[in-house]
Amino acid sequence: MSQSVSRRDLLKWATMGAGAAVVGGGAWLIGREDQPSGRTAASANREPSAQGAAPESSSAASEPGSTAPTPPAPALTANSDLSRRLLVVVEMGGGNDGLSMTVPYGIGGYYDLRPGTAIAADNVLALDDEIGYVKHLANVHRRGAAIVQGVGSFTPDGSHFAMSDRWWKGDPDGTGAYDAGFFGRLADAIGDPAAAAVAVATRGGNHPALVSRKVGTVGLSSLSAARYLTGAKSDNPNLYAFQQGLAAFAQGGGQGFGGQLRDVDARAITFAESVSGLVDENGLRPNYPDNNFTRGLSLAMSLFLVDKGVRIVYVPMDGDFDTHDDHVSRHAEMMARLDEGLGVFMDDLAANDLADRVLMMTTSEFGRRASDNGSSGLDHGTASNALLLGPVNPGRYGELPSFTDLTDDNFQTTVGMDQYYATVAENWFGVPASDVLNGNVVPLDGLIA
Amino acid sequence: MADEQSRIASVLKRLTFAPRPGQVESYEGATAQDVVEELLAAIVEDPTYPELGTNDDYSIVRTWWVDHMVTGDVGIHERMLWFWHTHITSSLAKVEPALMLRQHKLLRANALGNFRDLMQQVTIDAAMLVWLDGESNTIDSPNENYSREVMELFMLGRDSNAYTEQDVRNGARALAGWWVDGDNGNEVKFDSEAALHEPVDFLGTQVTTAEDAINAICDNPACAAYIASAVHTYLVGFAPQDARRDELATAFSDSGYEIRALVEGIVRHQSFIDAELSRPRSALEWFVALGRFYETDIDFYRLEALGQIPMEPPNVAGWPGPYRWMSTSAVFEKAAAARDYADDLATLDSDDPVSEVLAKAGLFTVSDGTRAALEQAAGAVEGLRELSTVLHSLVACSPEFSLV
Repeated sequence: MSQSVSRRDLLKWATMGAGAAVVGGGAWLIGREDQPSGRTAASANREPSAQGAAPESSSAASEPGSTAPTPPAPALTANSDLSRRLLVVVEMGGGNDGLSMTVPYGIGGYYDLRPGTAIAADNVLALDDEIGYVKHLANVHRRGAAIVQGVGSFTPDGSHFAMSDRWWKGDPDGTGAYDAGFFGRLADAIGDPAAAAVAVATRGGNHPALVSRKVGTVGLSSLSAARYLTGAKSDNPNLYAFQQGLAAFAQGGGQGFGGQLRDVDARAITFAESVSGLVDENGLRPNYPDNNFTRGLSLAMSLFLVDKGVRIVYVPMDGDFDTHDDHVSRHAEMMARLDEGLGVFMDDLAANDLADRVLMMTTSEFGRRASDNGSSGLDHGTASNALLLGPVNPGRYGELPSFTDLTDDNFQTTVGMDQYYATVAENWFGVPASDVLNGNVVPLDGLIA
Repeated sequence: MADEQSRIASVLKRLTFAPRPGQVESYEGATAQDVVEELLAAIVEDPTYPELGTNDDYSIVRTWWVDHMVTGDVGIHERMLWFWHTHITSSLAKVEPALMLRQHKLLRANALGNFRDLMQQVTIDAAMLVWLDGESNTIDSPNENYSREVMELFMLGRDSNAYTEQDVRNGARALAGWWVDGDNGNEVKFDSEAALHEPVDFLGTQVTTAEDAINAICDNPACAAYIASAVHTYLVGFAPQDARRDELATAFSDSGYEIRALVEGIVRHQSFIDAELSRPRSALEWFVALGRFYETDIDFYRLEALGQIPMEPPNVAGWPGPYRWMSTSAVFEKAAAARDYADDLATLDSDDPVSEVLAKAGLFTVSDGTRAALEQAAGAVEGLRELSTVLHSLVACSPEFSLV
């Protein structure tokens, strides 16, 4: 028990990525030229959402074993102004089993390896004759995601700590070459140093992935913390006097640490002012279910709407993907929560004409072991799958690892974590990979619509 | 008078964690140097350690320690214990609580002891063997993790150019063979079959055992300079000039690596007395100072929100400073903690409430801007309780309170 408590503490911060990639077997990848004409991004996304339940058409078209590939949702074209593009990173701490997310139901080896934890074909929303989404991802399935297969490190480590650190820093081999986080470096590359914050983690404290050199990054569990810094009225003279005092402390700048602290105070107050009044007392936007994941997505939406320089929001999912036991039901619960939150969030983006500006990517420190562990669970593994949602060309990217050619009972990585990151840096934000990653990292092509 | 009180407060911030309300005033007539000598002479007693064996062990070991820093009669010994924990890291993220507590006792026993002894013991400490993979380091399948970090982070520094990649590899071989027997109370054991038996070249000498390797690192000239610089930076607030560093390193080395001698050399120097408000308080230092200033129990999760959980450093290098502690998120979290605990504090009874609260916080000289902001706030509220709440919370959020 105590061991899991500690792990959970670490996992609050665990991150992992997943990303995009190369077309696998899917014949249905829709490129930009295949988009139905006359359909705007906003209208495509303004269809009634299916919160909680998959649309009828979706489940019908996804009948397992069907030879006809499911038609993906029409691609949404990314906003052409790179400076207006935004990113949400969903961190699935603990080690997400990519194969329980996008299930290789058509590959016999999968069922051979996992007699105790494999997901049956009739619980899959098929994409082609090899893989499909687990049925709980109905919203993701309906919208269509880019699935990056086999993403991870080519020199994997089995430790949550070591792999989380690598993902946070974008350091696939754990070289220790970076003192800032990957998303902090990305924020440095795209952000405005004058903004109160360019990247925000939706949890208090400084997230290691967002450690930056130039621009401000913030960890905030809730916008309700802003009420300490700003917004008091004369009917609360006590808090009002406190806030007046804080504002006075922020004046004058100056040299040394004192001056820097005054400047940071000023930035924090400006940030608080920019986000106050965006959410209800509970910190939630309308229609969002109340859990820590949706709370983070709600915060992301609020920050994007206020448009004061926040470009990246990093949302750690509140849950433990470290499914050493009872894998099937625990993972299903996490998938349902992921799908519910993303469904509401994507609807909210569309309703606010932000759908073509926001890309969502998932990360997790590693996938799970190829074989069951004998206690209905899966131990730590290596390569996994990741999802990108938003203005992407739905389909399979990268290469699904072999189910027979294993290393120490682990899948072999086919896409480096840095390649996944480079894709987002270069193809989404227009930041050359070499500006944020060491080595000659080549992005995956064709993902962004 | 105010200047000497300010210097005494500064000494107490650096050689304890923060002065308690009234403590600076209690040294009436003393100089800052007198206070340094008194603190150096303090007799240290072992604390009462927490009982482990419950489901809450992970929380207990760190909350117990932080509570001890806030409420205990702690001084320079505890100050150095915290330094060694941040310098020679291990973490509950990988190591179980009982072993972290064992390592804590080891660091406590040697916090002002002999550095060479400390490193010999740390090298075969169970928590460290788990944390940096010594337990899986065998001569047939060497794991270089500890070999690298003990030189890069703990003893020599990456910038020293004192070791090569070949030293890392050969060091791992000499360090091989130690493991933790999980079936027998996590006893540390040595497996001769997994160890090196022929000497290898290491740092310009020949070593066969872990003890040889640590001695070879200690004997490297870069070692004393690296440790002297790190302790100076911690206590004084900035790295020493080269000449000062070499002076300290020589004295440290000549003492046979007695940590107390190094610390005395640093804190008896005028540069220590003169350096006030010279670096940011880390989150832990700010949290402990707030608990002492408010004289109230502040929930541990506030420290977690500030981003520094003892026994859970972000990585093997510990907590990066000092800029990490001056973030916008820290402003949010400090304001929240400062406000949420300020409602029921003692009311003020002097005719200069601003100075009274500043003194409670150990601040005897502040900038004109800070004092003006406090005076203005004091004039804007009515009622003794409101005045106390506003002044305590504002002082806690002042730039000066975020520095040590």
